[in-house]
Amino acid sequence: MAALLSIQGLSISFGGLTALSDFSLEAPAGAITALIGPNGAGKTTALNCVSGVLKPDAGAVSLDGRPVLGLAGHQLARRGLTRTFQNLQVFGRMSVLENVMVGLHGASRREFGAAMLRLPGVRPEERAIGERAWEVLEFFGLAAQAGQPADQLPYGDQKRVELARALAARPRLMLLDEPVAGLNPAETDALGSLIVKIREQGVGLVLVEHDMSLVMRVSDQVAVLSGGRLIAFGPPSQIQADPEVIRTYLGGGEEFGLVA
Amino acid sequence: MTIWDQVAQYTVSGLTTGAIYALVALGFCLIYNATHVVNFAQGDFLSLGGLMMYTFLVGAGLPAPLSFPLAVLAVALAGGLLERLCIRPAKSRQVMVLIFITIAASILMRGAFKHLWGKEPLALPPLSPEAPLRLLGATFTPQNLWVLGMTIAAIFLLVWFFNRTLTGKAMRATALNPRAASLMGVDVHRMTLYSFALAGALGALAGVLITPITALSYDVGVIMGLKGFAAAVLGGYGSFPGAILGGLVLGLLESLTAGLISSVYKDAVAFVVLLLVLFVRPGGLLGLARQERA
Amino acid sequence: MTRPGRTFAAVLAALALALALLPLLVRNPYYLNVLNVVALNVLVVTGLNLLIGYAGQISLGHAAFFGLGAYISGILTATYGWPPWPTMLLAACLVALIAAMIGVPTLKLQGNYLVMATLGFNLIVSVLLVQLDDFTGGPSGLSGIPPLTLFGAALNNDLSFYWLAWGLALLGLLLARNLVHSRVGRGLRALHESPLAAAASGVPIEAYKVKVFVVSAVYASVAGSLYAHYYGIITPKTFDIFKSVELVTMCIVGGMGSLWGSLFGASLLTPLPQLLEVVEEYKDILFGGILLVLLIFLPQGLVGWLEGRRSSSGRAF
Repeated sequence: MAALLSIQGLSISFGGLTALSDFSLEAPAGAITALIGPNGAGKTTALNCVSGVLKPDAGAVSLDGRPVLGLAGHQLARRGLTRTFQNLQVFGRMSVLENVMVGLHGASRREFGAAMLRLPGVRPEERAIGERAWEVLEFFGLAAQAGQPADQLPYGDQKRVELARALAARPRLMLLDEPVAGLNPAETDALGSLIVKIREQGVGLVLVEHDMSLVMRVSDQVAVLSGGRLIAFGPPSQIQADPEVIRTYLGGGEEFGLVA
Repeated sequence: MTIWDQVAQYTVSGLTTGAIYALVALGFCLIYNATHVVNFAQGDFLSLGGLMMYTFLVGAGLPAPLSFPLAVLAVALAGGLLERLCIRPAKSRQVMVLIFITIAASILMRGAFKHLWGKEPLALPPLSPEAPLRLLGATFTPQNLWVLGMTIAAIFLLVWFFNRTLTGKAMRATALNPRAASLMGVDVHRMTLYSFALAGALGALAGVLITPITALSYDVGVIMGLKGFAAAVLGGYGSFPGAILGGLVLGLLESLTAGLISSVYKDAVAFVVLLLVLFVRPGGLLGLARQERA
Repeated sequence: MTRPGRTFAAVLAALALALALLPLLVRNPYYLNVLNVVALNVLVVTGLNLLIGYAGQISLGHAAFFGLGAYISGILTATYGWPPWPTMLLAACLVALIAAMIGVPTLKLQGNYLVMATLGFNLIVSVLLVQLDDFTGGPSGLSGIPPLTLFGAALNNDLSFYWLAWGLALLGLLLARNLVHSRVGRGLRALHESPLAAAASGVPIEAYKVKVFVVSAVYASVAGSLYAHYYGIITPKTFDIFKSVELVTMCIVGGMGSLWGSLFGASLLTPLPQLLEVVEEYKDILFGGILLVLLIFLPQGLVGWLEGRRSSSGRAF
C-alpha cells in the first residue's frame, strides 16, 4: 500500500505540556487507519496539525508526496483533504442541502464579482454543485431532510450531514474525529457501514475513535497513541493482543473492548 | 519652563486623565466578564455621576463628603436598573444585539439627562479648593491628587473585594465559567446585576473626579466612554491589570502628543497607536491571544 | 435556491413599480427629500448587511467609507472640476483599496477588538476630515459640489434625484441578492456559523472576510458620492461614529441576514428622528426608548418577526 498521507516526526507542545512527540504515521488510500488512545493522548491534536488548525513545532506532513504543512484549511480541502469535528460543526441555520453544497465550495474559482453580476457560467456551475450535493445526500440517506435547517435534525443525522459535507468534493483523504461519539448502537452500526462504503470509493480515512468495537470492525490498521507518543501500530488483531496497549488502557482507567 | 518641566506637566495631566480612563475601562471589563457585552452606556454612568454630584452638592447644598457617596450610590442603582430593565428581559442572547441594547439605552439616558439637567455646561466645584502645589517641576492641583488617590484606593478596594469577599469570589467564578458557577450554587443573574451596579459605581467615581477638571454636561461621558473602551481594548479586554495599564498608557500618550506634537491630532494619534498595537498583538497588551467567537 | 431567488425578483419588481408611482402621490419636496435619504441609507445598509448579517463580522466604522466616498467625489469635482460620474467610480475604487488595506489586519481581530478597531478607524477619519481643512473645508464643510447629470440633464432637484437614488438602491439590492444566493453567499454564511468548518470545506475564510468588507465599503462609498452631489455641501459631522452606529442599528432593527431587512430598517429609522421632532423636548428619550423596545423584544429584526408570524416554524434568525 503506497502512502497517501505521510506524517513524519510531528511534535507540538502547549506551554510546558507535550501533546505530541515525534509522531509518525502513514495512511494509504482506500483504507481505514484508526488512531486510538486514552483521553489526552494527542489524537485530536494530531488531526488538527494535519488539517492546518494547529501549527506543529516540528515534523512534516505530506499528501501524495507533496508537503502540505502550513497550508490553510481551504487549500487543504482543494488538495483533497477534508475532515469532520469532534464537537459537531454543522452550519445549523443553513439547510442540509446547503451544508453539503458548502462542501463543494472549492470546486470553483468564480468569486464575488461573477456572483453579483450573474456572469455566464455561474448558473450551470450552481446546477452542477446542486446535482452532486443531491447525489451525496442520497448516498447518506438524507435526501428527505434536504430542505430542513441542519440544527433541527436529530444529533445522529447531523453527524451524517457533517460526513456528507466532507465527502461531497470527492476528497482523497478524510479525517474523522470521533464520528460515532454520542450515537446509539444502531446509529453507530449504520455509520460504520457508511464509513466502509466511503472506503470502497477509494478514499483514505483516518479515524479517531473511542468505540473499540467499531474500530476493530472497520479498521485496516490501528495506531495507538499514549502521552503524545506512538506506542503500537499494526492490524486490529495484533493491537488487541499487544500487552503494552492493554497495560496503557487498563492503567489509564479506560474501558477497552477487548472482547472481540 | 524647560522641556523637562513641560514633560513633567504633561505626565501629570496624562496620568490624571489616564486614571479616569482606567476607571471607565474597569467598568467595561466588569460587565464584559459577566456578560461578554461591551456596555456602551458606561460613559453615561460617568456623566450621571457628575450630574448627581452637582445636584446633591450645588442643588441640594449637601456637604461634599455626603454628596460623593450618594452620587456613587445613585449611579450604582442606575447600573443595576440597566441590567434589570434592558439586559435581562432581552429575548436574544446574541452579543451583538445586547451591545446595541446598551447603545439604545445610552441614547435614552443622554436624552433624559438633557431634559433634566439642560444642555448648558454646569460648573462642578473641585473636591477641595486649596492652591496648587509644585513638585518636580510640575504643578499639581488638589483635584489631580484626588483623582490619582481615589483611583488607587478604588483599585485596592476592588482587589480586596474580588479576593477576600465571598461575593467577589463568586463574581470571579461566574466570569470564568457561568455554568460551573451556577452548578456550585452561585446565583449567576445576581452576579451579573452586581457587575452592572459596580460598573455604575466606578463610572460615577470617574465622573465625580473628572468633571470639575473638564466641565460638566449631559454628554461629557460620550468621549470619555470611548476612550475607556479603547483603554480596555489596548490593555486586553476583560483583564483588570490590562484596563489600568491601558488607561494610563492612553492618557499619557494623548497628553504628551497634545503637548509636544499637536493638540488637534491627539485623538487621532491615540487611536492610530491603538490600531497598531492591535495589529501586532490582536489580544491587547496584557491579553492572551485567545480565540473568541463574535 | 431558485425559488427564494424568484420570489425576491418578483417582490423587487413590485417594489420598483410602487416606487415609480410614488412621486405621483408625493409632491412635497420635503417628503421626497426624506425618501431620497432613505434610498441612500438602503444602499449602505444593504452592503453592511452582507458583512454583518451574512458573514458575521462587525463594523462600527462604515460611516467612514460613506464619508470617504462623499469627500473624494466632493473634493475632486468641486475643487478640481473633475467630471462627477468617472470621479464616483474612482472614489469607489480608492475606497475599495483603503478598505482592503484596513481590512487585512483588522478582520483578523475578533469580537470587541474588531468593534474597537473599526470604531477607531472611523474616529481617525473624522479627525482627518476636520483637520485637513485645506482640502476638506474643515468643520464647516465643503460646498459647491456640482449635481450629477444624466443624459445632459442636471439631477438638481429632489424628484430627479429620486429616480437615480432609488434606481441605484434597487440595483444594489439586486446585486446583493445575486451574491447571497450563490456559492459565495453560502460560503459567507458558513463562515459566520463556523469558521473552522467553513475553512475545512474549502472556503477561503480570510480572503472572504476582506472581500465582503470591501464590497460593503464600496456600497457605502457610492452612497457617499451620491449624497455629496445631492446636497452640494458636506460636513464631517455627517460621517462620524454616530452615523456608523445608526447604520448598524438599521441593519439590526430591519433584520440581520435578510436583504429586505436592510430596506425595512432604513425606511423605518431614517424618518423616525424627523417624525419625533414634533415632541422636540423628548425626541432622544423616545428614539432611544423605541430602539430599546425593538431590540429587547424583536431582536430578530422586523423581517424575522414578520416571517416568524407567518410560519410557526419560523426562521432561525
